Amino acid sequence: MRRSKLLDRPTAELIGFSWLVDAVAPLSAYGERSFSEVTPFLAGDESAARSRTRRIVELAAALDPGRLEALRALLRDVPDVAAALAGAAIGDVLSDPAFLELRRFCATLARVDSLVADSGQFEPLCNAAVRGVGDALATGQRDDATSFYLADAFDDGLAVARQRRADAHAEFQALRGREEQRIAAALDREDLGDEFIVMRGELRGDLPAGVHVIREAPTYFLCRAQYDEATVTALQRRDAADRSAAQAEEEVRARLSVVVRERAVEVSAAGAALGELDVLVAAAVYARRHGCTAPDISAEPTLEFEQARFLPLEEQLALAGREFTALDVRLDGAAVLTGPNMGGKSVCLQTCGFVALCCAYGLPVPATRARAGLFDQIAWLGLGRDERIGGLLSSFAREVLALKEVFERAAPRLLLLGDEFARTTTPHEGRALLIALLERLRSRSACAMLATHLGGVAAASGARHFAVRGLRSIPQPSGDERIEQVLATLGASMDYRVAEVGEAESATGDAIALADLLGLDRDFIAAAYRAVAQ
Amino acid sequence: MRVGDELLALAKAGGDGTIFVVGIGRDAGKTTTVRAIYFAAVRKKLRVALASVGRDRGTLGDGAAKPRLWLSPGTCFVSAVGVLPQSPACRVFRVSSLQTPSGNILFAGVETPGPYEVTGPPTAAGMRDVIAELRERSDLVIVDGAVDRVAALAGTRGAVIVAAGAADSATVAETALDTGALVARLRVPGFDAEAPGITVENALTETLVGRFIAERESRQIVVNDPTQIALRGRAAAEAFARLRIRCRRPLRVVAATVASAAAERQFEPVDFGTAVANATQLPTFDVYRGARAA
Repeated sequence: MRRSKLLDRPTAELIGFSWLVDAVAPLSAYGERSFSEVTPFLAGDESAARSRTRRIVELAAALDPGRLEALRALLRDVPDVAAALAGAAIGDVLSDPAFLELRRFCATLARVDSLVADSGQFEPLCNAAVRGVGDALATGQRDDATSFYLADAFDDGLAVARQRRADAHAEFQALRGREEQRIAAALDREDLGDEFIVMRGELRGDLPAGVHVIREAPTYFLCRAQYDEATVTALQRRDAADRSAAQAEEEVRARLSVVVRERAVEVSAAGAALGELDVLVAAAVYARRHGCTAPDISAEPTLEFEQARFLPLEEQLALAGREFTALDVRLDGAAVLTGPNMGGKSVCLQTCGFVALCCAYGLPVPATRARAGLFDQIAWLGLGRDERIGGLLSSFAREVLALKEVFERAAPRLLLLGDEFARTTTPHEGRALLIALLERLRSRSACAMLATHLGGVAAASGARHFAVRGLRSIPQPSGDERIEQVLATLGASMDYRVAEVGEAESATGDAIALADLLGLDRDFIAAAYRAVAQ
Repeated sequence: MRVGDELLALAKAGGDGTIFVVGIGRDAGKTTTVRAIYFAAVRKKLRVALASVGRDRGTLGDGAAKPRLWLSPGTCFVSAVGVLPQSPACRVFRVSSLQTPSGNILFAGVETPGPYEVTGPPTAAGMRDVIAELRERSDLVIVDGAVDRVAALAGTRGAVIVAAGAADSATVAETALDTGALVARLRVPGFDAEAPGITVENALTETLVGRFIAERESRQIVVNDPTQIALRGRAAAEAFARLRIRCRRPLRVVAATVASAAAERQFEPVDFGTAVANATQLPTFDVYRGARAA
């Protein structure tokens, strides 16, 4: 799945692109190839994007979990026969391992077909060529594609050559065995190895006939059994029979390779179709696992959703035993988002980005309902984008340069997510910059959500104003300063939902209460409250 | 006597049907030992499976092909796509994702008797997986192994047989000392979970041992498996004498074999066998003489 020009690396990281790639990654080599070609849908592709998301949701509904798992198991194990097909196509004689892999490939396609047949979603993968190769390689096989042997049934001549080889081996073994038994008996041993030691002290008389001494030492002989003339002749006949059988085997391989070569293009096409199926099945598993729905892909640059979740964070929260508060947002232009510290403004922006990302790749979204346009660029500005300290540029300068890049690119359909842009300059000028930015975004018909602690930005720019609902009550420190406990206390008091508020509504920070909850000393907190009162 | 029968009986007594033959160097007679056990098992009509450290990383990593083994129908063996013989054709069971420079590891079955090159994966973890699969396909798994892969058997009832050859050191005494040290290392007892100990996660080196000895450490020194102990010869002997070295996953070493004839030197067979038997305190067999050494 390529980022293309839809989003840059920092934005991708912040809105969960890598997480999404992992979550919808296919399992087979074919799937990986197909997946690596996936690019975002752009404006004008709405119909294709809509149809893809619906197809995935329908597939998720059509296949029960057991069947999906069986399908995944097949996809995980399907062999990659691309190299074998390429070899056959240029006239190579394929090896037995390659025939096994082709046999397994054909059998897997048949099993996949049977699993998805009643979903009504896919054309059968097993075309005539796949069936032809599968049938050809099944000749004389004793089981269901779990092994491959160049069986006698492939060719009468092969059976004959092998019988001759077996006879020649038996003749040689009988002669050699008789000779070795005679020598072993003379040496009072039960058997001989290829090379063996005879101790001089254990030898009664001379070494028996037929023993060749390789090395003579003061106390022993290192020996090898020597073949007599009849055994040597049998050995020559055995070697000749081996060569004939090897030639017969290679001829069968060559014929089977021609069968594969003649069908290579269509079998490759079936592999490509399997890759696409793998990609869709992975997306269906993702949709099912996370309760996703098909979004309405709009021709307008809009973004709205109900009960949406930012899945990378939801997953983290689940590990900590906490729940994600699903969000509702309706964004059809540039808007301002305010709310307390730790109230989830950044998460709201990330959720916006994640939903837009899913739509861009034709994936179902983790929301009960969603409607979104296809954007040419999703850009993140401000907090989280570049957290480096030091270097030649200040963080303000880096923010400005990032914004300059967005302006210069001038993507016709822009979704801009700003997290406390201009927070590092004076509040007065920061506010002015935000107002100017909102005006520019409006003039470009961009979709944007700019989170800020600065007050009066929405009213001054005429932008819509969303706010995190914030603390239901001021949480009291429990005395347990472990961060998990503090976050749990905060989570119980904070209403993370986002709602549109009136222009005059001021931004509240609840910062002092949160600092208290996080364990700053009481004198310090009291001093802060006194300063606010003055 | 048939050495293969004796070795097989020792390995199978209380074992789990896996035998790992390791050598202290090249030309130690490992393949001859494997061959003797293999033929004994075939005579007993056992379904046998074979693996090896292979040509890609032999004891000295010279990349030379291993000697081929004459295998009987019904034997399962590990090969690689690049070294599987074209003829006689084998039954190919599975091509695995484990890779070697000779291609992917595969599992094959012998249909026609003949000489086959047995190979294996390049890591102990890979070897563990290969052994697990071979055990499903056979009654007995024999591995023509190497010390750095024997960790694949750690914590199991698999049997280890140590092969010593004349090529390893200049004298009988030196070879016997090295073999004894290797066996002492491989036979490190299991640790006592109740007693205090120091866990060593990486290699237990001479430097580390020197420090423990200097500090008069009396607690158990615990390694995960014996292959972590990177000590040889006298350093190993001193470490085992002065420290309580233990492991979490012990090995079961059951016998030693000797090969007194090497290309560059020959040892007197009886003297060599006796010296190795004394150094290892294991039943020791001379695979070339077809006799128990001591």
